[in-house]
Amino acid sequence: MFSPGQVGGLLLVLALMVAGFGWLQPRFLSTATLALLGNQIPDLAVLACGMTLVMVAGGIDLSVGSVVGLSTAVLGCCLGEWNWPVWSGCLTALVVGAGCGLLNGTVSVLAGIPSFIVTLGMLEAARGGAYWLSGSQTRYLGDGLEALSVPFAGLHLSPSALLAGLLVLSGQALQSLTTLGRRLVAVGENDQAAWRMGVDPKAVRIIAFALCGVLAGLAGLFQTARLGSADPNAGIGMELGAIAAVVIGGASPSGGRGSVLGSFLGVLVIAVLQTGLAQVGAADPVKRLVTGAVIVLAVLADAWRRKTR
Amino acid sequence: MHASHNNPSRRATLGSMAVVAWGATVGLTGCGSQPGPAARRDKSAKPKIALVMKSLANEFFGTMAEGAKKHQAANAGKYELIVNGIPDERDVTRQSALVAEMVAQGVDAIVIAPADSKALAIPLKRAADQGVRIVNIDNKLDAEVLDKLKLKIPFVGPDNRAGAQKVGEYLADKLAPGSEVAILEGVVTSFNSQQRRDGFGKAIFQSRLKLVKTQSAQWETGPANQVTASLLTAHPDLKALFCCNDNMALGALAAVKAAGKAGKVQIVGFDNISAVQAAIKAGEIVATGDQHGDQLAVFGIEIALALLDDKVGDSDKETPVDLITREKLP
Repeated sequence: MFSPGQVGGLLLVLALMVAGFGWLQPRFLSTATLALLGNQIPDLAVLACGMTLVMVAGGIDLSVGSVVGLSTAVLGCCLGEWNWPVWSGCLTALVVGAGCGLLNGTVSVLAGIPSFIVTLGMLEAARGGAYWLSGSQTRYLGDGLEALSVPFAGLHLSPSALLAGLLVLSGQALQSLTTLGRRLVAVGENDQAAWRMGVDPKAVRIIAFALCGVLAGLAGLFQTARLGSADPNAGIGMELGAIAAVVIGGASPSGGRGSVLGSFLGVLVIAVLQTGLAQVGAADPVKRLVTGAVIVLAVLADAWRRKTR
Repeated sequence: MHASHNNPSRRATLGSMAVVAWGATVGLTGCGSQPGPAARRDKSAKPKIALVMKSLANEFFGTMAEGAKKHQAANAGKYELIVNGIPDERDVTRQSALVAEMVAQGVDAIVIAPADSKALAIPLKRAADQGVRIVNIDNKLDAEVLDKLKLKIPFVGPDNRAGAQKVGEYLADKLAPGSEVAILEGVVTSFNSQQRRDGFGKAIFQSRLKLVKTQSAQWETGPANQVTASLLTAHPDLKALFCCNDNMALGALAAVKAAGKAGKVQIVGFDNISAVQAAIKAGEIVATGDQHGDQLAVFGIEIALALLDDKVGDSDKETPVDLITREKLP
């Protein structure tokens, strides 16, 4: 599930992209741009981490972008309207994220409805909740949370970025070192096999969705911190970025295969592409064409590598 | 603002005249230099300006960006331009990232049409703290938030209120005091609609006309047609309709014609789209306002260049809104 060959391939692609953009636009190779990359990806990185767990277990979560919006709106209400202390607002936002994930998992697993459908419903419902809580207005919060996104002097990276890095490592450790990690793979490969191993696939799947929900809540915190305001539109379309990153990272859309570290590299590929294309001033249609092509090419290369091995 | 789209095929002459007039104003008022952060660039180099837009797939912004690119091509010796949009109008995350990316790319100034008037304030503050000059176009940043951040960002754009008042006065002057009139507004929560409504209202008040109804037609032709039809039934003595954009003026015109009242109910609009130009030439619509939509980004860029040369202060700058009547059209 975590192959050095795959990671090496992704690193090579990244190195080529960085070199290419650096050649086209020398400023791309500046510390400022590289630090910026690191400080922009924490939200997508934790989303991709959660999405990996769900996809390895054979599910998919289309609602993460909306859950980011909902947790942002919750945070906006707690801090902006009710003047709660920052820690309790953050905790509430995480609990709401976990709640959404738990609901996704429970409904799809217990009722046997494909997670694609259930989370599509949550995508709408959570966004509705975000608009309702916020009155469809962006709420300015100011400094309360900003500390999360201000880079440490000298290090150039923000607490959000470090926390996301730590979570990616923990996610990979969970996958490689714990029973839960092995069970997720078993469940994703084959329910029958999981039963024979004495694993209840239902519980394992629900846990994966709940973790994905908490991480979406955390992504909402990161976003709110970066913008200094709670925007109910936060995270629109982010589920697609997260899924793309996970797939580029080598996960199988049908479950049973994928690694958090690979997905993180997928996030880097997307971020480098976005920032690089913007900095060289590519036209907007070109950006989308190139991004789409890279996603498909990455997966093609992965499939080809598997076949020839 | 994008709810009232402008026609890309507007005649270039008006726009370029406006720019010339603009340049003259900048030159005249260009004495109050601001201290600001230490100059970021050496003044001998060509400045690099980033235009950060909303969705370029939206015709209104696409046209604006095209106008900016043409301006740069004509002034290639003066500055470099890098244009970026976001895929979704509401994608604040991507737009805030773009701001940071442009700063890292080493631009000297950013001209931005913010996707959200509050959420972009802090990302822009970080850019300003690094010495990048910011100019706000299209959607005005929230004044209260800017105050809290102690951030001064000039807004460069048309005064929709004054513009609508100018258009409204042209029609109101033609009507006898006490005449019954109505206003068709756009989406009620839209700032531009509110401004234009208030401008029309002021013209109506000054000429002592009787405002019988203000109703929303959502910026659209179809709803304007329905709203106008019922207005004409409810108020048979209605003499004039003030429409907050040209699409609604067209819908109102169709309803007036259908009711057999052509020529008896006067109409004005706002935006100067080509269909309304034709109607003005035919004498069916009295007047409209032209805010030079294709030049709005160019105005922002010119102010950014002036800011970089310390030629203007960071107060808001008003761009022209021209009254378009039968006499002004060829």
